[in-house]
Amino acid sequence: MKKQKIIAIYGKGGIGKSSTASNVAAACAEAGKKVMIIGCDPKSDSSITLFGGRRIPTILDLLRDGVNINEEDVVFEGFAGVKCVEAGGPEPGIGCAGRGIIVSIQKLKSISGDLLKEQDLIIYDVPGDIVCGGFVAPVRKGFVNEAYVLTSGEYMPLYAANNICKGLSKIGMPLSGIICNSRNASREEEIVTKFAEEIGSQLMAFIPKRQVVQDCEREGYSVMEKAPESDIADIYRKLGKAILENNNKVTSGSLSDERLRELTN
Amino acid sequence: MTGKEISIIHPRPSSIVAALYTLRDLNVDVAILHGPPGCSFKHARLLEEDGIHVVTTALDESGFVFGGHDRLVELINKSVELFNPKAIGVVGTCASMIIGEEMHEAVLEANPDVPVLEVEVHAGYHNNTKGVLFALESALDAGIIDHKEFERQEYLLKKATDVEKKFGAASKEYLAPSRGDVKYKVAKRVLQLLKEGKKGLVIMNAKKETGYMFADITLAVNEVAAALGKKENLINMANIDPSLGLPRVRQHAEYIMRDLKAHGVEMHEIIGGMDEYPVAGEMVSELIKEKYSDFDFAVITGVPHAIPMEHIRNMELISVTNGPRQVLPLKELGHEHVLVEIDLHPKTLGVSEIVESEFGATLREVAKET
Repeated sequence: MKKQKIIAIYGKGGIGKSSTASNVAAACAEAGKKVMIIGCDPKSDSSITLFGGRRIPTILDLLRDGVNINEEDVVFEGFAGVKCVEAGGPEPGIGCAGRGIIVSIQKLKSISGDLLKEQDLIIYDVPGDIVCGGFVAPVRKGFVNEAYVLTSGEYMPLYAANNICKGLSKIGMPLSGIICNSRNASREEEIVTKFAEEIGSQLMAFIPKRQVVQDCEREGYSVMEKAPESDIADIYRKLGKAILENNNKVTSGSLSDERLRELTN
Repeated sequence: MTGKEISIIHPRPSSIVAALYTLRDLNVDVAILHGPPGCSFKHARLLEEDGIHVVTTALDESGFVFGGHDRLVELINKSVELFNPKAIGVVGTCASMIIGEEMHEAVLEANPDVPVLEVEVHAGYHNNTKGVLFALESALDAGIIDHKEFERQEYLLKKATDVEKKFGAASKEYLAPSRGDVKYKVAKRVLQLLKEGKKGLVIMNAKKETGYMFADITLAVNEVAAALGKKENLINMANIDPSLGLPRVRQHAEYIMRDLKAHGVEMHEIIGGMDEYPVAGEMVSELIKEKYSDFDFAVITGVPHAIPMEHIRNMELISVTNGPRQVLPLKELGHEHVLVEIDLHPKTLGVSEIVESEFGATLREVAKET
């Protein structure tokens, strides 16, 4: 039996985790893989571009209504057959989003155990900052076996990425690669490649900044659906393939603040 | 999809506590509560009477903020050192579960030489039987119980929950606690019934160790009947089958049977094991339908509301519960006299013989007077 890939993509808020996750998911599904994307952000917008801009009901919303939840109530098939789930969560400033992630992952496991096992690739789209225990639930309770960190070549996103790498090694989660989502910073590919090497990992892909990604998202679609012929669609296809074939796992190192400054200057 | 459960506003039994009691039934020596020092205090204290050590990681404000992993590892090690246990339970609480503590990682790190049952539980469930179920699942994983016993327990828990929802303390949004009828008056009534030569059923349908006190009522009714020369008018039933349930539960049945025998009480019908109180009522109902439908009265102790009303409706019912919130539902069902053995549970922990009940004592005294 081939090994199942269960991955999580980490990175600074707003760096493009959800759009990378949904495009990679769509690309792998197009290539004939069974793919599931599990959105763990309380904003529940991970899968929105796979449904033409529509939102799907979230696990926590249904739990709050006190109803018995079945698989068909929370697992929806989006573009290219990607199975999509949104954990959901409270509004900002209320309740406990971390507990929400724990509860929804446990619920999903109890109602969709078989479906989860069937997938070739499961992508957990997690919030940018792992601010409390609940945010590690995908790793600990969802059996994530590969973690990727998304960053640009700018200082702040790299700083966040470096912190995340520190965190990952602290919780014993190996790092499988760094993905660069370009923001047109100078020497960006060089900087991120260097960063990846110095922490002992590898650069999986360099995703150039393209207006078409924004345009598709504004309309509520992934690039894979709305602009499948674009160069960026091909890059997502390559990244998907690289992730599916990747066997590299390291206990991530991290850089000192000084070194990080040096690298980005 | 089904609708919401009713929202019950009186405090309800805790799933954390239910998990602790289950660990005790599984003969776990030390239960570690991973949470604040006051969590489940009263029951944790009582359980020590029953031979299980309960300790706590005593999470404080810092623990909530920074997590209690190290503290839990230390406490597992310390517990091994202090108590030399054969099996350890690690039990979650609201606080530790909300902050996402991974007790499993602490257990792996401490890695003691004895089995550890991890119970990820908090008190926020509608039914406290969830805590029992989680503890049993853990025991199943650890190979302490087999699949057959697990399924049996799971079935009983479901039935117990149903009984509580239909006829018990979970049947209404709010139930006021009550001490029930005056024991002196009811004792007099029982004596009168016996004197008049009425035929009576003495049914104990008790939950596990609570039987140590409810059995005293069986004993007392039989004693006063014997003194009046009316013993043959009584039929005794009890759920004390010693071959059913977890080891500790079987032992309770054995001890109670031993004591009843020693006092010359004949047990006419065994209606199940001591964990079968939610289902033994059905058997009682069948037995009455077949053999005892012409009886005049019934003294029912333990979980009287688990006995269907169908075949006892025409009898005068004297029921004894240990739940102050059970009085009202029993009265509504048609139980004429309802008595409460207050604080029964604390008195039945850590004992291995029948202990005196208030109603039993009252009955004996009233019998002396007349």
